[in-house]
Amino acid sequence: MSVQITENIENPEEIKAKIIYTKTQQARYVAHLDNIDVMCKALRRIQLPYAVSQGCHPRPKLSFASPLPLGHASYCEYFVVTLTKQIDPEWLKKALTEELPNGMEVLEVITPYHDKRTKNKGDCVKYRLIFDNEDICNKALDFLNNSETTFEIESKGRNRQYKLGNAVKKPTMFHEGKDYIITADFIQGVPDVPSVSKIITALSKFLMEGKESLKLIERLSIQAL
Amino acid sequence: MKNIISELSHWELLEIEKPARYLGGEANQTKIKDNPKLNVCLIFPDLYELGMSNQAIKIFYELLNNRPDIMAERCFAPWPDFGNLLKQRGLPLYSLETGTPLSEFDALFITLPYEMTFTNVLYILDLGRVPLLWKDRTEGPLVIAGGPSAANPMPVSKFFDGIFIGDGEESILEICETLIDLKKSKTTFQEKRKALGNISGMYVPEFPAKLVKRRVFKNFANSAPPLHPVIPNVQATHNRAAIEIFRGCIRGCRFCNAGFYYRPKRERPVENIVKYSCEMLKNTGEETLGLLSLSTSDYSNFENLVKGLQESKLYPEQTISIPSLRMNDNTIKLLDETPQIRKGGLTFAPEAGTQRLRDVINKNITEDDIINVMKTTGDSEYRTVKLYFMMGLPFETDEDIEGLIGLVKRLEEIGRSTKPKKQISISLSGFIPKPFTPFQWAGQNSLDELKRKRVMVCKGLEGSSTKISWREEYLCLLEAVLARGDECICDLILAAYNNGCKLDSWFEHFHKEGWEKAFEQTGIKAEDYTRSHELSEVLPWDFIDFQTPRAFFEKEYRLAAQIAGEDLK
Repeated sequence: MSVQITENIENPEEIKAKIIYTKTQQARYVAHLDNIDVMCKALRRIQLPYAVSQGCHPRPKLSFASPLPLGHASYCEYFVVTLTKQIDPEWLKKALTEELPNGMEVLEVITPYHDKRTKNKGDCVKYRLIFDNEDICNKALDFLNNSETTFEIESKGRNRQYKLGNAVKKPTMFHEGKDYIITADFIQGVPDVPSVSKIITALSKFLMEGKESLKLIERLSIQAL
Repeated sequence: MKNIISELSHWELLEIEKPARYLGGEANQTKIKDNPKLNVCLIFPDLYELGMSNQAIKIFYELLNNRPDIMAERCFAPWPDFGNLLKQRGLPLYSLETGTPLSEFDALFITLPYEMTFTNVLYILDLGRVPLLWKDRTEGPLVIAGGPSAANPMPVSKFFDGIFIGDGEESILEICETLIDLKKSKTTFQEKRKALGNISGMYVPEFPAKLVKRRVFKNFANSAPPLHPVIPNVQATHNRAAIEIFRGCIRGCRFCNAGFYYRPKRERPVENIVKYSCEMLKNTGEETLGLLSLSTSDYSNFENLVKGLQESKLYPEQTISIPSLRMNDNTIKLLDETPQIRKGGLTFAPEAGTQRLRDVINKNITEDDIINVMKTTGDSEYRTVKLYFMMGLPFETDEDIEGLIGLVKRLEEIGRSTKPKKQISISLSGFIPKPFTPFQWAGQNSLDELKRKRVMVCKGLEGSSTKISWREEYLCLLEAVLARGDECICDLILAAYNNGCKLDSWFEHFHKEGWEKAFEQTGIKAEDYTRSHELSEVLPWDFIDFQTPRAFFEKEYRLAAQIAGEDLK
């Protein structure tokens, strides 16, 4: 499949494309830096006309979303690539998907892309937690519903205490086939608010053996606050 | 077939370091075939990151999967965290493509790249629920080994149904065709092993031939390299597209097993290398192209090759990595003119500290060569100089060790006068007398002697800015025993494995006490295997026709002695 160029633009720095993709199945366990490496290689394989950074060791100009915790599935991962030529977004979506490992699929390509955010005030991230046991799911729901919940997480060799506070919004439970599902919004990137990774770790400790019932953790969407 | 991967829970995988090593699903992974005539698993007995860099695995994976009737999968040695998880869960080790337990394959092909992976073979078979000894195998997969460390098959002969000697490109297809034929008729395991023995280059321990001839892939120069290698999901040790520009070596260093194992020298033509490199880079998206060979500067058309690769650049950030390059004025000039070539540091392998000893080992590098390169690159971006030395070489004296210290000090002085200053580091390793080299009869220095020489170097360079690293002497001793062993060494390896030895080449997992205990348990004395041999002695590996006559090795050994001014008995 050859590169589909729709238009040449003189100032390459101005053309950006936002690529939204999934990270599911085995790809959930590909770590962030490896993920960047995998993606760079896939972009080269489709011969995308990307811009490279200046300096001794030029790299493709890519900007990734903050790392997805290892093992979390996602349907809203994204990165922004700077292009030297405008390309057909549909071509890019199809071509890149064909080159990605199992579990990674391009959902949407937005180009030209203009990042309007001037200051990052944090994100609201929608999650889906899938259980195979109703009691454990109920227990997890209680944990997430209680804004007074406190927990301790070890980070960089020291323990730090967190309060759930307003970090989790609208946790809701429903039943689908054999699965018991909680959906909730997590507030991320705000000072003193625990990250979703920390909350899920605390939840797994709280559930003890019951954590095995939590089969899948899925990130569904990200909205800037 | 049961997919073992689906049995592992999210929380179990989270406890594992780099779980993506064990899950497959990478780009360029082969498509799952419906009912292939033969299911085989290619095994590299070390971690995923190393195995995914291994050229043999890439070659065989593509070669076999290009056949519609064969499905070849991969498996690597797991880190102990994952190995323990499998044990705790009662799950067998499996292939990455379909999660199939190793015991359900028709054949396991295991490459043996270095001796310190021998216990890993047992670790993998054990986790895969495949009996460790060929005598105990009456069903399940045939276990077949190959690779440079299988050149002397005797130390691992109790573990494998067949051990292949030499280049495997042609023979692996012959093996598979034989197995496909045998599957049609109901043959016993013993009959299968017997049939393997008809393949040229194959040593079958149950039916040992009087002579086994090393196979040479004569069509190497015109063959295509693996063009669609799997793209690892965990960064590989060699994170690059690698192309073998030639196989073999013309140098004839008397200690070098690889130099003789891969003979004769066979070069791929420039136009083919350029064409295949482009294709490989397109198919992998790797940023760096690595040119593989034992001594890249010996490629007869090196300048044109570099120019050709430079002209066919695909990506703006593309680089070329050229290891094993003998530095001289011409290569430095070429590198300077080729910005695409990645310039790490200057690396030299003089191996010995004096010209006398370098002549003895036939290492064609002089002190002037190194000094000239250091002066020529005085104001360039090469800031580090790494030197590799061996200690305990045949006919070595303390003067040679003092020579080593003197050479490093002289280089250090030159390094200080350049801008920017050059940082020198040296790596010391004990000499290992390998089979199928002119030094196969030579003895290895005792542990104490190797340590004494290492301490001598460290003290001699005390207070200098040179960084010194060395290989644990006990590892050198073990490698010599495992390389030069006979059938008895199988018992030693098995005992060591049972004592908990595995991943021996990993510092954090090397279990010296386990090996010491294994020597005690088996009554094997390391000295019996590290001692020097008389030229008249029959060596355990003499039944292999290495395609380099024994007489040649003997002549070379005598020549080395003559240069050293000694007489061989």
